[in-house]
Amino acid sequence: MTAAPNPLLAIRSLRAAYGKIEALKGVDVEINAGEIVALIGANGAGKSTLMMTIFGKPRARSGQILYEGRDITGVPTHEIAHLRIAQSPEGRRIFPRMSVAENLQMGADATGCTDAEREATLQRVFTLFPRLKERYAQRGGTLSGGEQQMLAIGRALMSRPRLLLLDEPSLGLAPLIARQIFDAIRTLNRQDGLTVLIVEQNANHALKLAHRGYVMVNGLITLAGTGAELLQRPEIRAAYLEGGRHG
Amino acid sequence: MTAPPTMTAKPATGISSLLKTAFINALVALVLFSLMVGIRTEAGPDGQLTYWTRFGELASLVAIVFGGSIVIELLRLWMGPAGTEKLVPPAVQSGLSFVGRYLAPALLIFTLLVPVIFYNQRYILDLAILVLTYVMLGWGLNVVVGLAGLLDLGYVAFYAVGAYSYGLLATNFGWSFWICLPLAGILAAFWGVLLGFPVLRLRGDYLAIVTLAFGEIIRLVIINWQSLTGGPNGVSGIPRPTFFGIPLDNSDDGLAAKLGIEYSSTHRIVFLFYLILALALLTNWVTIRLRRLPIGRAWEALREDEVACRALGINTTTTKLTAFATGAMFGGFAGAFFATRQGFISPESFTFQESALVLAIVVLGGMGSQLGVALAALAMIGGFELFRGLETYRMLVFGMAMVLIMIWRPRGLIGHRAPTVYLTKAQAISSDLVKEGHG
Repeated sequence: MTAAPNPLLAIRSLRAAYGKIEALKGVDVEINAGEIVALIGANGAGKSTLMMTIFGKPRARSGQILYEGRDITGVPTHEIAHLRIAQSPEGRRIFPRMSVAENLQMGADATGCTDAEREATLQRVFTLFPRLKERYAQRGGTLSGGEQQMLAIGRALMSRPRLLLLDEPSLGLAPLIARQIFDAIRTLNRQDGLTVLIVEQNANHALKLAHRGYVMVNGLITLAGTGAELLQRPEIRAAYLEGGRHG
Repeated sequence: MTAPPTMTAKPATGISSLLKTAFINALVALVLFSLMVGIRTEAGPDGQLTYWTRFGELASLVAIVFGGSIVIELLRLWMGPAGTEKLVPPAVQSGLSFVGRYLAPALLIFTLLVPVIFYNQRYILDLAILVLTYVMLGWGLNVVVGLAGLLDLGYVAFYAVGAYSYGLLATNFGWSFWICLPLAGILAAFWGVLLGFPVLRLRGDYLAIVTLAFGEIIRLVIINWQSLTGGPNGVSGIPRPTFFGIPLDNSDDGLAAKLGIEYSSTHRIVFLFYLILALALLTNWVTIRLRRLPIGRAWEALREDEVACRALGINTTTTKLTAFATGAMFGGFAGAFFATRQGFISPESFTFQESALVLAIVVLGGMGSQLGVALAALAMIGGFELFRGLETYRMLVFGMAMVLIMIWRPRGLIGHRAPTVYLTKAQAISSDLVKEGHG
């Protein structure tokens, strides 16, 4: 495993459970500043649980989550967002009856930035997703699936995060729209230096995008390596690429 | 085995199907009414059963049903199938938006002039005060139900806390209304937070049950804590409000004597009217201001998606508690006003029916819409009085009206909400354009 001495986020032997069902059975993941890290795996492997455990819901049973060297395992969910970690949750979860403008504003509300900072971030979001500017006064619930995903990412960006957690951003999207979303993530990483952890079922896309990847099976990390390495592994190709495509 | 039923729901078209529906309805009516109306029975003078037939009435009833169902079918054809959006002619649309823009200011000006126009009509003034009390309660509950999306069936508890706070503080310590009013609000808000804590994890139906129970607990405590509240006898002799210390009575230091005008009991009514109007407008103003602040936006976001809120760094605990406290505080203000207006309070005024009425006002008005709530309060309280002549049937009329409104305007009288964040110019999105897309 290629690990820098001081990773931005370090997860050490993390365990989490829903009642008696253990979803994470000792997971180790490291994310360095400026990286895109992909987490791939089948349904129910525990990918989303890992992402949610970073946000404190569910709480970790044991293990550690270190962010910038600080243990954030016990920090309440709402305070984690104040540490400049943002999340675009699974299923997008935008506010359907509120306008696009209000949805974006909600992302900035809790973090306490200045008006100038907020305005600059807003313009950045509009550059990445011009569609959101066109739909600014529209209700979130009236947007298309792709636009809602853009809004969810845009809302997360409004808190000006250092680390962005994306849960299945391509879920249910047309390939062309999914490509736009991935392009935007790449741009954010290259131009803004944003660190990204992306959970995906679309292994092909995610591993091409990511610097490094982890493969998760039944609550455990079974493989790790660079995106290109993982794409070449025959077991990955069989399980998530060819098999996944035809099966 | 029989053949599966064919699912052919053909659209009702043509005169034949129309007549067929009408004929079936008439037949049902004939069967139903033949015994109910067609034959009249009565006990004869010697106790035997006498009966006579009333075929004329029966025939006319069946004819009414026949004709009526044709009219209804025609109306249905004309209006199109239920659930489809109808195209509104542009002229009507612009007319509606014109009305929409000027309705609120016009209503406010009219309300300000009510005591001038109806000065000699005590009944109308009393009714207007009652309507405004419910407008205020509706706006208060709107914060909890409409904005934060927390279904509260026990709102009357805070109304009661406010009323008893003022009633007891004023009768026991002789404190003036203007000192007790904020205290009543604070106490009600305190009880709001107290209710909020145990229900933080609850939503929807479960929350509704707990708040319902809370409302009943407060009422039962008031009934049973005889030494403090007087139990079922209530609190009487609650002082009337003063004009900042100057009483509104017939005495030498009354307001009328000081101004050198002739005393009239209407002065106090007019004063009460403007008092509740000011309180209601304060509620409205605070709510509108809060909606533009992060806390108000957080309330609305909480209604939409709690998980997303938490992920965005919103402390859902404090957000919920502030919503409960704010709503309860306005309920407390309204309660204090109620106590000073009535001069007498008893647990009977704070039954579940009041909670249900206020909730109906909020839902009927369109959750979260300030103008809608005001209109709904006017329709509910005013309309209820309007149909007083119908005696026992008014409940029927009332229930039917509510059902019809909910069919035609399922999101309430005013279903759209104005966004609070703008890029360049304000643009309200009508609810008609929008199908809800819950995630």
